[in-house]
Amino acid sequence: MSRPVEGPVLTAAGVERGYPLPRRRPWGPRDVVAALRGVDLSVGAGERVGLVGTSGSGKSTLLRCLLGLERPDRGTVTVAGRAVRPGSTASLRWYRRLVQYVPQDPAGSLNPSSTVRELVSVPLRHLHVPGDHAAAVTTALTRVGLDPDLAGRRPGELSGGQAQRVALARALAPGPVLLLADEPVSGLDLPVRDQVVEVLADLSARQGLGLLLISHDLAVVARLCDRTVVLADGLVVEQGPTADLLTHPAHPRTRDLLAAVPGLPV
Amino acid sequence: MPRRGWVTAASRAVTVLGVVALIGVLPWLSGRSPELSILRARSAEQDATPEALAAIRAELGLDAGPLGLLGQWLSGLVSGDLGTSWISGGPVGPGLVHALGVSVTLMGAALLVALVTAALLCWPPLHRVARGERGRTGGAVGAALTALPEFLLASVLLLVGAVWLGWFEPYGWTGPSSVVLPALAMGLPAGGLIGRLVADGLTITGTERWVSTWQVAGASPGQLGRALLRRTLPALTTQVALVLVGLTGGAVPVEQVFAVPGLGRAVLGAAEAQDLPTLQAGMLLLLGISAVFGGLAALTRALLLGRALRSGSVPVPARATPSRRRDWLLPGGAAALLVVVVAAGLGRDPLTSAHPRLAAPSLALPFGADASGRDLLARVAHGAVQTVGTATVVVLVTLAVGVLVGLLPRASVGPVEVANAAPPVIVGVLVAAALGTSQAGAALAVALVAWAPIAAYVAAASEEVRRQRHVTVLPVLGVGPAAVTWRYVVPAVLPAAARNAVLRLPGVALALAAVGFLGLGAAPPAPEWGLLLAEGMPYVERAPWVVLAPTGALVTAAVLAVSLSGLSRRPRRPAAVPTGTTAPAPEQPAAAG
Repeated sequence: MSRPVEGPVLTAAGVERGYPLPRRRPWGPRDVVAALRGVDLSVGAGERVGLVGTSGSGKSTLLRCLLGLERPDRGTVTVAGRAVRPGSTASLRWYRRLVQYVPQDPAGSLNPSSTVRELVSVPLRHLHVPGDHAAAVTTALTRVGLDPDLAGRRPGELSGGQAQRVALARALAPGPVLLLADEPVSGLDLPVRDQVVEVLADLSARQGLGLLLISHDLAVVARLCDRTVVLADGLVVEQGPTADLLTHPAHPRTRDLLAAVPGLPV
Repeated sequence: MPRRGWVTAASRAVTVLGVVALIGVLPWLSGRSPELSILRARSAEQDATPEALAAIRAELGLDAGPLGLLGQWLSGLVSGDLGTSWISGGPVGPGLVHALGVSVTLMGAALLVALVTAALLCWPPLHRVARGERGRTGGAVGAALTALPEFLLASVLLLVGAVWLGWFEPYGWTGPSSVVLPALAMGLPAGGLIGRLVADGLTITGTERWVSTWQVAGASPGQLGRALLRRTLPALTTQVALVLVGLTGGAVPVEQVFAVPGLGRAVLGAAEAQDLPTLQAGMLLLLGISAVFGGLAALTRALLLGRALRSGSVPVPARATPSRRRDWLLPGGAAALLVVVVAAGLGRDPLTSAHPRLAAPSLALPFGADASGRDLLARVAHGAVQTVGTATVVVLVTLAVGVLVGLLPRASVGPVEVANAAPPVIVGVLVAAALGTSQAGAALAVALVAWAPIAAYVAAASEEVRRQRHVTVLPVLGVGPAAVTWRYVVPAVLPAAARNAVLRLPGVALALAAVGFLGLGAAPPAPEWGLLLAEGMPYVERAPWVVLAPTGALVTAAVLAVSLSGLSRRPRRPAAVPTGTTAPAPEQPAAAG
C-alpha cells in the first residue's frame, strides 16, 4: 500500500512558536509564552515514533505545526525536501494525501448525521484522490477490520469500537504513508481503547504505515513505538529507542514521566 | 489574537463612518429640490427665476454630487455650522441645541424611572437567591407588562394620567409635571427590559456552585446578594447599554404623543417637512447620545471586569432553564385571541364609511366605529393581516441577510452592533427622509435593524459549530473554508436560525406598527395598526373605544412578542459551573497525566 519515500518522511528543523499573553495592563507590554523553542524531529518511512511530554510541554503546538495548521515563528517543516506551511487548501493537498491525522477520541470527530461511506470518502473527494472512491472506501474499512457492509450506517448506529475504527479508516482512505495521532486513546473506555491500540499496532507494525504518536501515556507508547522523543518546555530533552529510554531514562523530566506510570510493562 | 482584534475594530470604525456619511449625503439620496421653498422662506417678493434658484442650489452645494456634499457638510460641522434649514432658511443649530437640552432632561428622568423599575423587578429574585432558594427565572409577568412599545404606553398613559385622572399636563413642556408621563412612557419599558435581564441573570447565577459553597460557609444574605450582583452585572452591561441607546428611539414617539419640544420630535417634524439639514443635524446629535451611552457601558464593563476582560476569560452565563409546556400557555393564548379577532373581522369591510361616526360598540359593531364611520373590527382584522403579511416578508429577508452576515462573525461586528442599537423608529425617520413615506419604506426600515439579532445568533451558533470536533478535523481532510461553511456550518445553524427568526415575527409587526404610528408607513386609508392608533388618538376623550380596539390588539401582539422572545433564547443543557472561555486556547487541553 505505502509508497516508497526515500529518507525521512517528515522533518521539523528548529521549529519555534510563541503565543502572546494578555496584557497585564492595557498600556503594558505583551508577554509571549514560548510553546516551542527550537524543536528538531524527523520520522522515517514506516518508522513508529512516540512523542511524549506533560501537559504544556508543547506537544499539541508541534503537532499543529507539523499538520500545516500553524506557521512556526522560526524553523521549517518539510516532507522529502518540500516545505509544509499553512496556505490555501489546494496548496496542501499533496501533503494531506501523504500524511494524515487521527485526533483524540477519533469517533468524536465523526459528523453524526453522515453515513460511514460519506465520512470515509470526505478526504477522497476533497484531496482529489484519483481512482475508484467506492473501492477505496471498502479497502480502508477492510484495513481497520470493519465489515464493508457497515458503510450505510451512521456513527450513532455503531458500537464504540466500530466508530473509532471508522475514524481511522477515514484517515487511511487517501493512502497516507504516515499517521499523526494526537492522544488517540485518552478518555476512551478500556475495551474501546484496546481496540484502537490494536488497530494502530496492526497498521503500523504489519501494514508498514509510519506513525507519530503523541501521548502522555507511556504504556501506549511502549506498545506502539520503536523510538520515543521526550518534549519538555518546548524542547526535545531526550530521545532514543523506546525500550532503552523507558528502562534507563537520562533526563529528569523523563524520569518524572516514568514515575507517574505505575507498573509500566516494559 | 491581534489580527482578529484589528478586523473587529476596523469593522466598527467603518460602520460608524458609513452611518455618518449616509446621514451626510441624505439630501443627495432623497433627490429633492428645496430651492423654491428656501426662496419663498427668505423673501416673498423675489421671483423664482432660474438664476435665483440656481444660486441657492449652488449655495447649498446640491450640485456638487454626493462626495462634494459630504465634504461641505463635514467641514461645516467641524467649524460648528450644523447647516441651513430648507424650510426657514435660517441656521438649524440653535433650535436643535435647545431641543437636545429638553431631550437629555427627559432621558435623564426616563433613566431614573428605568433604574427604579429595574430595581423593583430584581429585588424578589435577588432576595430569593440570596436566601438560598432556587426557583425559576423570575419577574417574567411584571416584566412582560412593562415591555410594551413606547408609542403604545405613551398613548395609554396620556389616556389615563392626563385625560381620565387629569393629574398631569397632557401636552407641552411647561414644568416638572410635564416630565412625569413622558419619562414613565420611556422609562418603564426600558426598566422592564433591564429588570428582566438582571432577574434572569441572577436566577441563573444562583444555580452556580460557588453560591452553595458561600451559603455553607455562612455568608449572610447581604454579602451573598452583593456577590451575586457583582457576578451577574458585568455580563449584562452590553445588553443594558442597548436598552439605554433604545431610549433615543423611544424619544421620537413619546415626544410626539406628548408634544414635547425635544430632539425626537424635531427629527420627526424635519422628516415630515423634508427639512433635511435639520434632520441630519438632529440624527447626528442622537447618534452622539447613543455613543455616550455605549461608551459608558464599555467603561463600566472594563471597570467591573478589569484584567479578566483582556485575557478573554470572562465567564459566560449559562442559558435559561429549558422551556416547558406551560411556557407556551401565554403566547398560545395571545395568538389564539388574535386569530379569533382576525377570523371575525376578515369578512367585514374595513374601508367603507357605512356606520355613524364614532358609533359605540354594539352587537353589530363589536369594536365600534371610527371617526369616519368605518367598522373598527374589520379594520383591526385587516390591519393584522396586512401587518403580519409585511412582517413575514421582513422576517424572511432578515433571515437570509442575518445568516449571510452572521457567517462573518468578526467583520460583521460593527454593522451588527450599530443595527442592534439603532431603534427602528430612528431608521424609519431616515428611510422616510430619503425615500418618502410608504409601507415598503416602513418594511425596509424595520428590516434594516431586524437582521442584526439573527446575525448575532448565527455568528454565535456558527462559532460553536466550528469548534465541534467533527468540524475542527475537516481542514486536515482537505476540506477548504468555503466547503466547511456551506456544507457543515450552514446546514447545522439554519434550522435554529429560522426558528429564531419566526419567533421574532410579532416583534417585527410591533416595530412596523411603531413606524406606522408616526405616519412614516402606510398612507391613511390603509387599516395598518399603528396608523389606526394614531388616527384614533384625537378622539380619545369622546370615544375611547377608537383607541381601545387597536391598543388591545397591539397589547396582545406585545404579550405574544415578549413571551416568544423568552422562548427564542434557546435553552442549553444547564451547566453546573459555566467555565467557558471566549478565546480559543492555543493548545487543545491535553488530558491530565
